[in-house]
Amino acid sequence: MTPAIITNNLTKRFGDFTAVNGINFEAKRGEIFGFLGPNGSGKTTTIRMMLGLLAPSAGDVQALGISVKGNQAELQQRVGYMSQRFSLYNDLTVQQNLQFYGAAYGLNNTDLKSRIQDALVMAGLEGRENAKTKDLSGGWRQRLALSAAILHRPELIFLDEPTAGVDPISRRAFWDLLYQLVADGVSVFVTTHYMDEAEHCHRLAFIQRGNIIARGTPAEIKKNMMQGQVLEIASSDAVNTIKILRAAESLDLQEVELYGSLVHVVAQNVEKKKKDIQKLLKKEKIQIEDMAVIEASLEDVFIASMK
Amino acid sequence: MLKRILALTKKEFIHLRNDWWLPAFMLFGGVLELMAVGWATARPISNLPLMVLDHDRSAASRSLVISLENTETFTLEAMVDDFQTIEDALERGQISAAIIIPPDYAEEMAASDGNPTLSMILNGAESVPATAALRAAEGVIASLNEKLIIKRLKLSPDEFSGFAPRLRVWFNEALSEALYTTPAEMGLMLEFTTLLFAALAFSRERELGTLEQLLVMPFSSLEIIIGKAIPVIVIAFTDFVLMLSMVHFVFKVPIRGSLPLLFILAFGYLLVELGKGMVLSVISKSQMQAFLLVLLFGMTDFMFTGYAAPVESMPQALQFVANIVPAHHWLEILRGILLKGAGMDVLWPHVAALAVLGTFIMTFSLRFVRKALD
Repeated sequence: MTPAIITNNLTKRFGDFTAVNGINFEAKRGEIFGFLGPNGSGKTTTIRMMLGLLAPSAGDVQALGISVKGNQAELQQRVGYMSQRFSLYNDLTVQQNLQFYGAAYGLNNTDLKSRIQDALVMAGLEGRENAKTKDLSGGWRQRLALSAAILHRPELIFLDEPTAGVDPISRRAFWDLLYQLVADGVSVFVTTHYMDEAEHCHRLAFIQRGNIIARGTPAEIKKNMMQGQVLEIASSDAVNTIKILRAAESLDLQEVELYGSLVHVVAQNVEKKKKDIQKLLKKEKIQIEDMAVIEASLEDVFIASMK
Repeated sequence: MLKRILALTKKEFIHLRNDWWLPAFMLFGGVLELMAVGWATARPISNLPLMVLDHDRSAASRSLVISLENTETFTLEAMVDDFQTIEDALERGQISAAIIIPPDYAEEMAASDGNPTLSMILNGAESVPATAALRAAEGVIASLNEKLIIKRLKLSPDEFSGFAPRLRVWFNEALSEALYTTPAEMGLMLEFTTLLFAALAFSRERELGTLEQLLVMPFSSLEIIIGKAIPVIVIAFTDFVLMLSMVHFVFKVPIRGSLPLLFILAFGYLLVELGKGMVLSVISKSQMQAFLLVLLFGMTDFMFTGYAAPVESMPQALQFVANIVPAHHWLEILRGILLKGAGMDVLWPHVAALAVLGTFIMTFSLRFVRKALD
């Protein structure tokens, strides 16, 4: 089967500014492909080109094995799109929103009825058909938006920061829905800047300033991108720990970052540097409560690679 | 295709029902505006406050003041004793005009070689009442003049026959302001309503962020345009019918021409403004921007319609501009059908101009909007 998405030297320039700089990647069918990057890195521009809303300056995109350019009409029926904030009309009721989606995709009335029922079950909104969408909380609205976006049973669905501004429990529930979709054979392309979500993707691409700087499975990315290991330190004074360790040039540490109340140190052969770190902190009268080499998280990788 | 258009139109009507003030404004804003304009201008200008500084205090000067009052254009605010009071009153905007009668007024009137004079001060800051005041005063003075001449030539009034023009005003026998203003206001309100409503069609969804979603759905750009145009046409046309009933039944503006012709041309004109509004709509990033653009375009059109100032008295270049403003032709058509009972045989130049402009604007709009949406 052809891949869900292939980009080939996909480029977008706005005047002198290159928003997306010749990116290449492939998203397989039946997988969740995560597109990661900070704000302004080119994520939305890329998604707009993949949807055919924006013409590339160079290169091209194929979705479901056909070129996006010139085949929009066909792709619109086979592809779904959802953005958490903007997919629904807030002044319409749940039922009215779903009906509008259904009619827009040309579903006949009997299909529409049963699919709306499915969508309500999926979003957990049975019995709240007549609630105004604006009265739903973020999590409900997001699940409704997803249910609406797949009402026409697309083979591929684009999600643009679908969980922005939603509480962790709702995000969890949302990802459960995504796994369910993938199990049914739908391919998912999702942009996010939540690292914990990125870990849930089958395959990832990191984009920074329009360039893809890493791609692969989360495990591959951690292995390839991370030079050195991560040492996690719990100390009595995290802020000063960072100051001291950053100033200690002789230790040759790559990264010293605050991680909640903990400090993450990235370095080659970090195990051997433990003693020196201990000594240094003791001299400065900082107590070490715990110190251990841990597996790098995507966030460590992300921060390390963004520098 | 039809199904998708209907789905979109239905959605638009649900928005309207939820945002009830918007259609309410569209439907009744114009009617209310007309009511205010109609009532305010229903009667000719009268009761302009007048101050008199009479240095003469003679029978002749009193009779002059009475003649001025009898025109009904003026109402005597006060007889004053010094010029300062007049100056203050004018500055405060308390009076529209003042008359200063010199001490020798009666004497000069009576003398066979007398040369009576009179000063009149008008509040030029408000030019319309000032013009009306001037005209009324001139009328009074002309008739005084006539009497003076008769007396000095020692004729009897029966022998004197001066210039007696026979004036007849067609189409608006009473020269009622309302007959002039209300049809024009109605025409302009139709323009504003249509433009504004059309301008919100896309700018609103762009501002809310839902336009992207709409473009990703399998709507063709034409389907989106038609689906969004139907509610605008329905509301704007209803508004027109409401306003027409209002001016006809309340302000007694006649409909002397063919009503079906008026409806057909109103519909055509509405489509032209719809096209313009949609162009403004796709170039606007927010509803506020669209609204300001409508205001700008609407006000410019207004200047060229001939309602505020006659097109014939504009400089040549502006007259040309006026001819490419659809609203100008629309007002001519509207007035022609309502007041003059004109038909196509008379109106055809305006109808043709509207058709040519309309075709041009609609073609451009359709292309422009489609391109913006694709």
